[in-house]
Amino acid sequence: MDDLKEELKRQLIEQLNLEEITPADIDDNTLLFSDKGLGLDSIDALELIVLLEKYHGIQVTKPEEGKEVFRSVNSMAEYIRKRQN
Amino acid sequence: MYYISAASTISHQPAFRNAGFSGVIEPLHAGSALINPDYKEYIEPGLLRRMSKILRMSVACSGDCLKQGGIEQPDAIVVGTGLGCLLDTEKFLNNALTVKGLLPPTSFIQSTHNTMAGQISLSLGNHGYNMTHTQNSISFENALLDAMLLIDEGEKHILVGAADEHIALLDEISAQLNIQSDCGLTSGASFFILSAEKSDQTLAGIKDAEALGLVKNIPEQITAFLDRNNVNPDDLDLILYAGSVAGTEDGEKDFQSLLKMKNLPVLDYMKYSGIYPTASAFALHMAADQMQHTRSIKNILICNSLIQHNLGLILVQSVEA
Amino acid sequence: MSVRITGIGIVSAIGLGVQENLLALKESRTGIMPFSFPDEDKMFMAGAVKATNPVLKKELQTKSQYISRTTLLGLKAAREAYGSAKHHDQIRTGIISATSVGGMDLSEQFYQAYLNGTDADFAMLKAHDSGSTTEHIAAELRISGYMNTLSTACSSGANAIMLGARLLMQGKLDRVLVGGADALTNFTVNGFRSLMIYDEQWCRPFDASREGLNLGEGAAFLLLENEKSIRFSGNKTLAFLNGWANAADAYHQTASSPEGKGATLAMQKAIEKSGISLSQISYINAHGTGTKNNDLSESVALINVFGDQVPAFSSTKSFTGHTLAAAGAIEAIFSVLAIQNQLIYPNIHFRTPIMETGLEPVTIMQTEKPVHAVLSNSFGFGGNNSSLVFSDHA
Repeated sequence: MDDLKEELKRQLIEQLNLEEITPADIDDNTLLFSDKGLGLDSIDALELIVLLEKYHGIQVTKPEEGKEVFRSVNSMAEYIRKRQN
Repeated sequence: MYYISAASTISHQPAFRNAGFSGVIEPLHAGSALINPDYKEYIEPGLLRRMSKILRMSVACSGDCLKQGGIEQPDAIVVGTGLGCLLDTEKFLNNALTVKGLLPPTSFIQSTHNTMAGQISLSLGNHGYNMTHTQNSISFENALLDAMLLIDEGEKHILVGAADEHIALLDEISAQLNIQSDCGLTSGASFFILSAEKSDQTLAGIKDAEALGLVKNIPEQITAFLDRNNVNPDDLDLILYAGSVAGTEDGEKDFQSLLKMKNLPVLDYMKYSGIYPTASAFALHMAADQMQHTRSIKNILICNSLIQHNLGLILVQSVEA
Repeated sequence: MSVRITGIGIVSAIGLGVQENLLALKESRTGIMPFSFPDEDKMFMAGAVKATNPVLKKELQTKSQYISRTTLLGLKAAREAYGSAKHHDQIRTGIISATSVGGMDLSEQFYQAYLNGTDADFAMLKAHDSGSTTEHIAAELRISGYMNTLSTACSSGANAIMLGARLLMQGKLDRVLVGGADALTNFTVNGFRSLMIYDEQWCRPFDASREGLNLGEGAAFLLLENEKSIRFSGNKTLAFLNGWANAADAYHQTASSPEGKGATLAMQKAIEKSGISLSQISYINAHGTGTKNNDLSESVALINVFGDQVPAFSSTKSFTGHTLAAAGAIEAIFSVLAIQNQLIYPNIHFRTPIMETGLEPVTIMQTEKPVHAVLSNSFGFGGNNSSLVFSDHA
């Protein structure tokens, strides 16, 4: 199990107030912004930028940058590791 | 006459989806709580997860009203709120002053007064007129007057309502500012469908309403309002009031002496709703519910002077079946 | 269908009063400049009103200790618009103001002290609720009776004007003072930053490189009167309000729909109500905040309504900043001034059109063409879209 990904799932649920969802419901590849996945919207994207800064010390200055990063838990973890190295 | 085709309230009383509730209500006591429905039944999860109390109450009541009235889309959505979305406002204010770095935007977005009306339009996909009135204790009456104006202009069905939410800070503020109250500060929401025409669904009619700010002579305004509507004091079956028309402690006596009617039933509706700026919307639902279930009641006057210099008046009349 | 406008008053980043605003517009002089809140170092671009609270209080001769900046700005503009109007028993007078955050400038001072645990002054909160700003202005002008405050975020000011017109048309009032006011606050500046739509440079409405808005502050009021009221007041008619409409976009909590549904509906209905044909619209004072989303959506809506004949348009937010609930009222007054003085204002800082639509706003002040009718747009959070049509004829 990838600790960073599990941590991200818990942070996602808390930051976005996903009341009915548990970390187990989120697959590493679940599409966060697709209606077939979590169905998040542009307000959530901004909340995710806050999440990256708050928990991982990573700053995203343009919301557009987030598009690829926030595709899935996998892509978020990958981005965090890349930025931290 | 304007017709109430549906009404929905979330409060301390068992009013939600419970016609006839006005027959079983009891004055609030310490520790009594809001009776919340299962919001999941009324609001889709994607919208619900971000919603504060005031938004949940407003969207659930609106949905319930439309269902009762059998109306898919109202012509307009009009909301009154005295203090708006306090939970989100305080949350963002707190974050802005304490968090270094990026701030979560959701509470800012939902701090604006028109979040209720906006969320209702979003949940319905409604493209009609969308308005939010906020004039402290007469916010609901102002919203109602707008809805009546829309009907005068030719619209058929207006979703009109009011909501306010309580936060802990309000209790501290009222204690600090020495604002006395027998019944506690709380939250509440009431929504209605106001229609141009009478139908099988009609609960009651609204003959007239008025909202006045910086009013000088409240008793004079009340008698003028009744005169204008050709209602004699002895036509009134009940007065629902808040605040005091003569500035004394005994609201009941004040009304009885003002209208020279010793046995006129007079009821302080805030004893049942608790205190919030738009509680007169609760009173309107209570009045309509009573008329629906006690056929002998023809005229109810709602008189709101919760804040002494503001006056809200609503004349509710029964509608013959 | 029309309502007479007989008084105007304004306070904005480009001036205190109608004359100062008109002069700055004529000189194409923006009021947006580096600004910081008292006791703070961080500078940012904003359209602040160039008068401190003590100066405004002195000028307005108000002694009230607990008066928010929003109320001070509102009162200044309301006095100018109301002029020497007197109470008259036969004339039913009302007031409708608009504000998005009311007395937040005081509330945030209170809350800071409250959090610090240092003698927080709870009485400051008496000015918090939006309705109290209207009440305060009404009390100073001795208006009582119909009194209302609208709060629909950035379209509030336009909605106050619309409601006033409807009350006159339905014979509920004889004259009504309508407008809006909002002061710059930490709350709103931080709010738009959290949405990542606060441009730290000069805002560039309708430009391809736009990055967001600059906030501004200010207030504006208009006096609307019916014939009966004018017989008593003897006021001259400055311009007419001919059409109005509000429509919900019902797309997203903050963003406008890509097809500009709500904006299109608002413009179409307002123009239809005015009875003025599309080709007669001389100028459009756009909402044009400078955010990527609004300006694209509004451009699409302009094309929906006008096809390839989009009239001259610009966003005067490049002069004043985005003044939130005051914006609709401030821009209504700019619309009246455009008609009175035959002016079409430039959109400052515009260089490159938005690729998707190719629309180009006016970039140099135009004074040669007659301006008979102006469309003014105001769009807000929650998809609240309003349009007003002003003209030189009934």
